Amino acid sequence: MFPFIYEFHWTPVHVVFLGIFFSVVIVILSTLSIALLRSYKAFRKQQHETIQWEAEFEDLPVAARTCRHQITGEIAQRTCNHEFDCRSCAVHPTFLAQRAPVLAPAGKEESVFGFTMPLDRYYHRGHTWVKYEGEGVYTVGLDDFGKRMIGTPDAVELPAVGTTLTANGTGWMLKKERAALRILSPIEGVVVQTGTAQDGWFLKVRGREPIVETRHLLRGEEIKPWIMRELERLQAAVSPEGVGVSLADGGELVQDMWKQAPQVDWDGVWGEMFLQA
Amino acid sequence: MDRQFIPRSVQRSSFARFAAWILPWILLLGLGLYAMYLCLAEGLNQTNMDNRFAFGLWIYLDLTVIALGAGAFFTGFLLYILRREELKAVINSAVVLGLICYSGAVAVLMVDVGQPLRAWFTFWHPNTHSMLTEVTFCLTCYLTVLAIEYVPVVLKNRKLRQIPRFLVFEFELHKVMPVFAGIGTFLSFFHQGSLGGLYGVLVGRPFAFREVLGIWPSTFYLFILSAAAVGPSFVLLTTWLVQKLSGKQLVKPEVLRFLGKVSGWMLIVYVLLKTVDTLYWINHTAPAEGAPAYTFYTSPGFGTWILFAEIILLGLLPAIMLLSKRLRERPAVLVSAAFLACCGIVMNRFVMTIQTLALPTLPFDQMMSYVPSWQEIATFLAIVAYGVVLYSLSFRYMTLFPQERDIRQ
Repeated sequence: MFPFIYEFHWTPVHVVFLGIFFSVVIVILSTLSIALLRSYKAFRKQQHETIQWEAEFEDLPVAARTCRHQITGEIAQRTCNHEFDCRSCAVHPTFLAQRAPVLAPAGKEESVFGFTMPLDRYYHRGHTWVKYEGEGVYTVGLDDFGKRMIGTPDAVELPAVGTTLTANGTGWMLKKERAALRILSPIEGVVVQTGTAQDGWFLKVRGREPIVETRHLLRGEEIKPWIMRELERLQAAVSPEGVGVSLADGGELVQDMWKQAPQVDWDGVWGEMFLQA
Repeated sequence: MDRQFIPRSVQRSSFARFAAWILPWILLLGLGLYAMYLCLAEGLNQTNMDNRFAFGLWIYLDLTVIALGAGAFFTGFLLYILRREELKAVINSAVVLGLICYSGAVAVLMVDVGQPLRAWFTFWHPNTHSMLTEVTFCLTCYLTVLAIEYVPVVLKNRKLRQIPRFLVFEFELHKVMPVFAGIGTFLSFFHQGSLGGLYGVLVGRPFAFREVLGIWPSTFYLFILSAAAVGPSFVLLTTWLVQKLSGKQLVKPEVLRFLGKVSGWMLIVYVLLKTVDTLYWINHTAPAEGAPAYTFYTSPGFGTWILFAEIILLGLLPAIMLLSKRLRERPAVLVSAAFLACCGIVMNRFVMTIQTLALPTLPFDQMMSYVPSWQEIATFLAIVAYGVVLYSLSFRYMTLFPQERDIRQ
C-alpha cells in the first residue's frame, strides 16, 4: 500500500498512521474533484443563470426575501427559502386554496402610491412585469417603480433575438453612472423581439413550453401591499446608515429619484431593490 | 476608486483612509520578511535559541495561534455538522482567522525548521513514532482544507462572481463544505492534541511530563479541549474588535452571546479536567519522577501565581462569566470574559513551551533565560502584520459578515 514511502515497513503503526493520513488526503482531493466536476457539468448545461439566482437569493437581506403571503397579511412572519419559486413551496397551495389573486381585465390600471401599475399583468419581485400577448408571446418590461428608481439609464444591453432566457436569470442589463444592473427575467423563453424604454417594454419572449410558468409572479390584489412593502424597503435603503428609516411619510416618488438625491449610495440601493447581492 | 470591488449595500472607508491604515502593517511585514530571509540565508545563528533552548518565541507563537485558530474548525463543526445556523453570521470571518493563524504558523515553522525546500522530506521519510509527524501531516492537510474553505469567500467578491465559471464553482464548493468541515474537525482534533501530547511525553522534563490515558498523555486531551474552548472566544473577540474599528454593527448580539455560551461550557469542562490533571501531577506524577512539584515554582518570576492565574483567573473566572446568562447579556462582560479566556490560552502555551524549557531539570542546572533576537521578534510581528493585512483586505472586499446588510435595515 505504501511501499513508495521511504523506509516503509508492514507494521501496524506504519499501516494505521499512514493509512489514516492518505485516506484524509484522498477524501480532500476527491471532494474537491467532485465540486470541480459538478461545476463543469452545470456550466455545460447552461445552468449558471439558475445557480446565480440561487446564490444571490441566499445572500439577499431577510427584508428582501419576505414571503408574498406575509406581504399580503395572510401570515404574520415568513421568509422565503425557495428562491421565490412557489412551485416548490409546500405552504403556497394552502394559501391559494383560501384566496387566489387573479389578473384584472386588460387595460385596468391602478395608481398605487403614485405608481402606475396595470393589473392585467404579472409582476416579478425584481420590478419587471410580463403580459401575455397571445400566440405564445409575452411582453416583458420594467415596472413604474423600477423606472423611477433608475430614471433614464446611460445604456441598455438587451439580449439578442433568439437568446434563451431563464426565469430569475438575466433579462437585460442597465447601466447607470458606474453601476451595472442585472434586470431579472420574470419568465423562461426565447427572445423574439427587443424594444426600448420609449416603447414601454424591453423584450418580447416566446415561451418554450405550451404553458409558461407564472406561479412565482405577483398579480392582482397582491400588487398594492407589495408596492407598499417595496416603498418601506426603499426608504430603509436610502436612509443614512445607523439612522434607520428617516424619510418623510406621504407624497409620491419623483420620476428620477437618482437625480434628486445624488448623495445616496444608489449602486447599493439599486442592488437591494433589484434583488442583487 | 475601488467601490466596484466592495460588496453592495455596505459602507467602507475611503481608499485613502484604508491605504493609510494598511501601509504601516505592510512595512512591518516587509521588515519581518527581511528577518526571515536572514534566518534562512544565514542560519539559526540569527536567533537567540541554542541546542538547550531549542523552542523559543516562534514555537510559542505557533502553539498560540494554532489554538486561537481553532475557532475556524469549531465554528465550522457547530454550523455544518451540528447545524447551528446562527453561526453563518461569523463563519466566513472564522475561516479567514483560521487561515491566517495556520498559514502564519506554517510560515514561521518553515523559518524555524529551516531548509524549506526539503519540507517534503517529512512525507517521504516520516517518523511514525513522532507526535511531530502527526502534527506536520495534520497541519498540512488542514491548511489545505482552510485554503479550500477560503476559496468560496473570495469567489463571492462582487467582481469575481460576475464570472460565471467562478460563480458556479463557488456554488458547488459551498455544497460540499460540510465534508471539509468534518475533515477539518478530524484533523484539528489530532494536531491540537498532538501538540499537547508532544510535551506530555517529555519524560526528561518532569514539569511537562504527564501520565498516559489510553494511548496519549493527558496533555493531548487538554490541548484539544482548551483550543475548542477558546476558539469561539477568539472569534467573538475579533468580531467585537472589527465592529469597534469599523464603527459598524456586523452581527446580531445574540450571535456573540451564543459564541460566549459555547466557549463558557467548553472552558468549564477544560478547567475541571485541568484541575484534576494538575492535582494528580502534583501528588503523583511529579514526585514519581523524583521532582516534587513545589520545586518548579521556586525560580524567580515563576511562582505559584502562574498556576493561579492560568487556572482560576484566566480559566474559571471567564468560564463563570460566560456561563451566567445575566452576565453574558452585558456586552462589556461578554467581551472581557472572551479576552480573559484568550489570555488564558496564551499563558498556557507560554507555560508549556517557555517555562518547560527554562526550568532546570538536573541538580546542577540553572534556570535558563532566553530573550528573542530582533530577527525572531520581527518574524513574529510579520505574522501579526500579515494577519492584519489579509483580514483587512478580506473585510473590505469580501462578505465576512452576511448579517451586516440585514442589520443596516
